[in-house]
Amino acid sequence: MRSHLEQIHSIQAMLAAGHRCVELERHSLLLWGLVGGGLCAFTDLFINADRFPDNGRRAVALFFWLAAWLGAMSWLDHVLTRRARLARQETLPFAQAQITRVWWMLLALGTLSTFAMFFHGGGDMIYALWTVLLGLGIFFFGLFSRPLIEWIGLAAILLGILGLASGLPMNDARWLTASCFAVGLPFTGWLTARIDDSRAWRRVLAVGLWLAAVVVPALAAARLVPTAPTPTPATSTLRLSAGTVVPLHIDMDSALVAIAADASIPVRVRRDTEVALTDGQPDGRYRFGDGSWHTIQDGVLYLRIDHIEPKLSAGQPEIRMHSDFDFTGE
Amino acid sequence: MNSSLPTLDALLHQPVRTQIAAYLAGRGEATFAELKRTLGVTDGNLDAHLNKLLDAGYLECRKETSSAGRSQTVFSLAAIGREAFAAYVIALTALLPARTDAPEQLVANAPFPDPTS
Repeated sequence: MRSHLEQIHSIQAMLAAGHRCVELERHSLLLWGLVGGGLCAFTDLFINADRFPDNGRRAVALFFWLAAWLGAMSWLDHVLTRRARLARQETLPFAQAQITRVWWMLLALGTLSTFAMFFHGGGDMIYALWTVLLGLGIFFFGLFSRPLIEWIGLAAILLGILGLASGLPMNDARWLTASCFAVGLPFTGWLTARIDDSRAWRRVLAVGLWLAAVVVPALAAARLVPTAPTPTPATSTLRLSAGTVVPLHIDMDSALVAIAADASIPVRVRRDTEVALTDGQPDGRYRFGDGSWHTIQDGVLYLRIDHIEPKLSAGQPEIRMHSDFDFTGE
Repeated sequence: MNSSLPTLDALLHQPVRTQIAAYLAGRGEATFAELKRTLGVTDGNLDAHLNKLLDAGYLECRKETSSAGRSQTVFSLAAIGREAFAAYVIALTALLPARTDAPEQLVANAPFPDPTS
């Protein structure tokens, strides 16, 4: 008969196996990877300012676009998971059913936050948000599955936060999030099936591999896939040298304040800027110096109002506003 | 023989049956196929041990039928089985040398109430 201590260790092992009984199905990782990655990389091709010039309509269109895809994938994943479990004569553990609900809540939170950003700002952190939500989802599954999955979830959360804190350009952040979904999720399944994660150093090694597998293709895609078509030599361009003064016309007409239709503010360009012209008019493409070309809609430019201050100047009321109009790097 | 030593539940004091009870205590419920895969035992061996636990009232089972008409038996610990397993772990722990850390950790992490409290 085995010793009492061996019996206790055996019980310990079985209790742990019972608690960590959640298994990520291969089809779930592939489905969410492809759909999440595809949505990050290609949504702008379908929902953009050209198709939906009005901000509110664009927000609603994007909301239904995300809700339709993510809702359909949630349903499909649920059906396929139940079918796979039945085929293997297995049950869906209670913990997995609950964590799946948490995953759906995270997706709903991401969709609603994306919608809200159209009205309340913060659009420059949209990809960081989705990366963090993905990391949270992986981490929650990992809590009831393999410790390595927990670690990968934490790595994704940190990746999202560090990307935002380091001012990662919007285009790089988009490809990083797409890669976290499309490469990261299937690779998580591949790693957990092949690596014995009982020792911490193996988990560190596996997380390092996961980060490399996610970051390298993302940065490569961000460099290789142009955000805007480079103008052909025949395309005419207009170069604005640093120091050029350009009138900035502001269209502000609300229930609170209105600006005269012909009001403009002279702004001085601080960097050499080149804009592409089509039919003699700027077509939205621009670049700084001899850098890569962007379009006005690709999210690199941002306008942030830091503060608004009412003042009295020589007895006359005035409003001073400090804003930051900049780009997220190249 | 020391009469103050706790007695161990003879039904649970068998490696496979202990593992079945421990796994179900952690997971909640499991099918025959899941138990077989986790414990690495043969169909006949598992069936014999499950029947002993069912006969004692330690386990409950229910039939689940899918929309395709496929049925499977799902096993879970009954209330009596849960209490018996908790008592067994405490009795087993009491028989161990005092300096061993693992049993304390086990009892602290166990997903069942301490029947002595």
